[in-house]
Amino acid sequence: MGGFIDLYTEADTFLHRMDPRVKIVAVLLLSLLAFILSHLYLLLALLTFIFLLLFLARATISRTAFALKFVLRFMVLIIILWPIFDPTGTPVLASLGPIKITEPAVWRGVTSAARVGCLATVWYILMFTTSQRDLVRALVKMGVRFDFGLTLAISLRFLPTFGALIDSIKDAQRARGLELSKGGLLKRSKNYVAVLVPTIVSALRTADTLSLALQSRAYGARADRTYLRDLNMRPSDYVALAVLAAILVLPAFAKFVMQVDI
Amino acid sequence: MSAQGSNWGNSGAAGKPANYVSPKIVAVYGVLTALTAAITYASYTPFSPTKGYFNLGDSMVFFSALAFGWRAGAICGGIGSAAADILLGSGIYAPITLVAKGAEGLVAGVIGRMKGGKAWAVALGIGAGGACMITTYFLGEWLLLDVGLGKAIAEIPINIAQVVLGGTIGALLSYYVKKSYPSLTKT
Amino acid sequence: MIPSAHGIPREEKIISTRNLKFTYEGGVQALQGLNLDIRSGDYVAIVGGNGSGKTTLAKALNGLLKPTSGTVMVNGMPTSELKVAEIAKVVGYAFQNPDHQLFCSSVEDEVRFGPLNLGYPEQEVRQKVERAIEAMNLGQLRALAPLSLRLGERRRVSIASVIAMDPQVLILDEPTTGLDAGESLELMNSLKRLNAEGKTIILITHDMKVVAEHARRVIVMANGRMILDSDSRGVFSDLAILGESNLEPPPVVRLAHRLAKHGIPHDVMSVEELVFQLLRSRGGG
Repeated sequence: MGGFIDLYTEADTFLHRMDPRVKIVAVLLLSLLAFILSHLYLLLALLTFIFLLLFLARATISRTAFALKFVLRFMVLIIILWPIFDPTGTPVLASLGPIKITEPAVWRGVTSAARVGCLATVWYILMFTTSQRDLVRALVKMGVRFDFGLTLAISLRFLPTFGALIDSIKDAQRARGLELSKGGLLKRSKNYVAVLVPTIVSALRTADTLSLALQSRAYGARADRTYLRDLNMRPSDYVALAVLAAILVLPAFAKFVMQVDI
Repeated sequence: MSAQGSNWGNSGAAGKPANYVSPKIVAVYGVLTALTAAITYASYTPFSPTKGYFNLGDSMVFFSALAFGWRAGAICGGIGSAAADILLGSGIYAPITLVAKGAEGLVAGVIGRMKGGKAWAVALGIGAGGACMITTYFLGEWLLLDVGLGKAIAEIPINIAQVVLGGTIGALLSYYVKKSYPSLTKT
Repeated sequence: MIPSAHGIPREEKIISTRNLKFTYEGGVQALQGLNLDIRSGDYVAIVGGNGSGKTTLAKALNGLLKPTSGTVMVNGMPTSELKVAEIAKVVGYAFQNPDHQLFCSSVEDEVRFGPLNLGYPEQEVRQKVERAIEAMNLGQLRALAPLSLRLGERRRVSIASVIAMDPQVLILDEPTTGLDAGESLELMNSLKRLNAEGKTIILITHDMKVVAEHARRVIVMANGRMILDSDSRGVFSDLAILGESNLEPPPVVRLAHRLAKHGIPHDVMSVEELVFQLLRSRGGG
């Protein structure tokens, strides 16, 4: 395992400059849109739009590849499994015993896969262009309590540390003859205890020290704490928000009010 | 200027102490959340061709719930597992995972610590928590993500294995750490 | 050409590296072509500043890291073709932080873990465990939980857990860090006994006092290269090379160098030697 992957890529694009709150809203709205749309070509259009944004955010292929591989396999699996479990509709393309493959079911599978593709990749718009620090700050600004935000910031801060810790502990136990990738599930899981106990004990000791450090730095001393950097919505952020709202509201209006089949 | 309470002499009229959770809880929850994500990530074993994946993340959800209570189970289990999903490139699962593992940790924490955490309570808690997790994933995949019944069913056996193995390891870890390091598990 | 401590190969080579290079995933070239032979019975210290590549070298010697290019041979077999568990029978590695290795509920179980992994029969496991517990003087602690012990004791447990696998070579990463003078001395004396019994010892350290007092051979690393391979006396007579690797010799060595123009030789390594030389020069002058 080669360390942890933080998708955030430093760059200076309009998405990087955009207020993180707007980007969080964007992810939510575009996800909703993916649920509203039911036609394959519209979902593919949405997928193209998401990839266009990723392209504009300078998300490099090599970094995306890791994440995309998962999504792609997921989509392929849906396309394969859907028709097998959905025998409704005609014409029947093939049948084998109780299993019936119908043309509409195949299209339903492909449509679902496209929707899943949208729901999966829309996250990357946020993750590629927003540092963890900005993400936590945005959540606090959006009403998440400061202590929850701090807890989240601490966990993000320690993720790579613990990743490295687990790697080191795995090495230390391998040097004692432990083979983690040998045997069935049961044996492997049992072997993992030799890694988990030192990891948990070290981590909890870290927590002990950390709570003292928080106290000594006056955590919770005043409710009206100030921040070094504040988030401020700029005109361009409002424009982006308006565009997003339009992208969602128009199809929603068409579908639910005007009863257009989209 | 009043020198009462925990105010400092020059802290001004608005300087009343914040009503935050204790620093110990912030530190422990932050660390448990990171641990859940890190262990999920590190023990990740993809199985082909069904592309289900197996990991020991559940052992940390159960550990947090049994050693630190239902709040830790729900918060650290839910957020930590969802963070691992995002890191592993399956952010699409993150919202369902947040609910599924959060519920798992919550239920395991409530039931598993009844009667001071007797063995039957722990087993029942893990079973009930695991059932919540499996049901949430199934319904979430089938009805919410609409991935089709086949894909949703394909996930069930792997999730059962995760509960059985993760539950056993989580219970052992919690028993061992509580016994050996009582000071570490107090919040 | 790097000066060698042992001109004649008097004993068999257990580990030898040829043009060993290692590059981490991020592109950091941690080892840049090392040729090194470790012979049976050696007591070697690998020294160097932080980031000089000494821990990477140690991990390459026991197969935790496989060479990016070049070879590491352990008993004539390349590590690239061996599993870490197989190499562990020959080359034991005690990590810097003992807490990374300890997880059992008693010292005895902890020490048993390694030999059980290697599949030794019960009788042999028991023997090896007893020897390791005795070597690290853990008899009175055997029933206690390892992680509840003090750092010095935890380090001895982690070393015992490696010795129990009965490797020919014992690599210790910074074994004296965080120990007080008494604990440090006790540990180093145990290692001295093990070396006398025939175990090959490789110390990774920047504690130059320990090096001066215990190691017979010193390898100085800087920027992923070996810049010196010599007996320990040779290392301390050349302060420039230590400076190049961000190391500071013990005060007594620095003092001796400052007194060089008064006739004190360059290779003084201990307080006793300095006193002896001072008295001699006074007597002679």
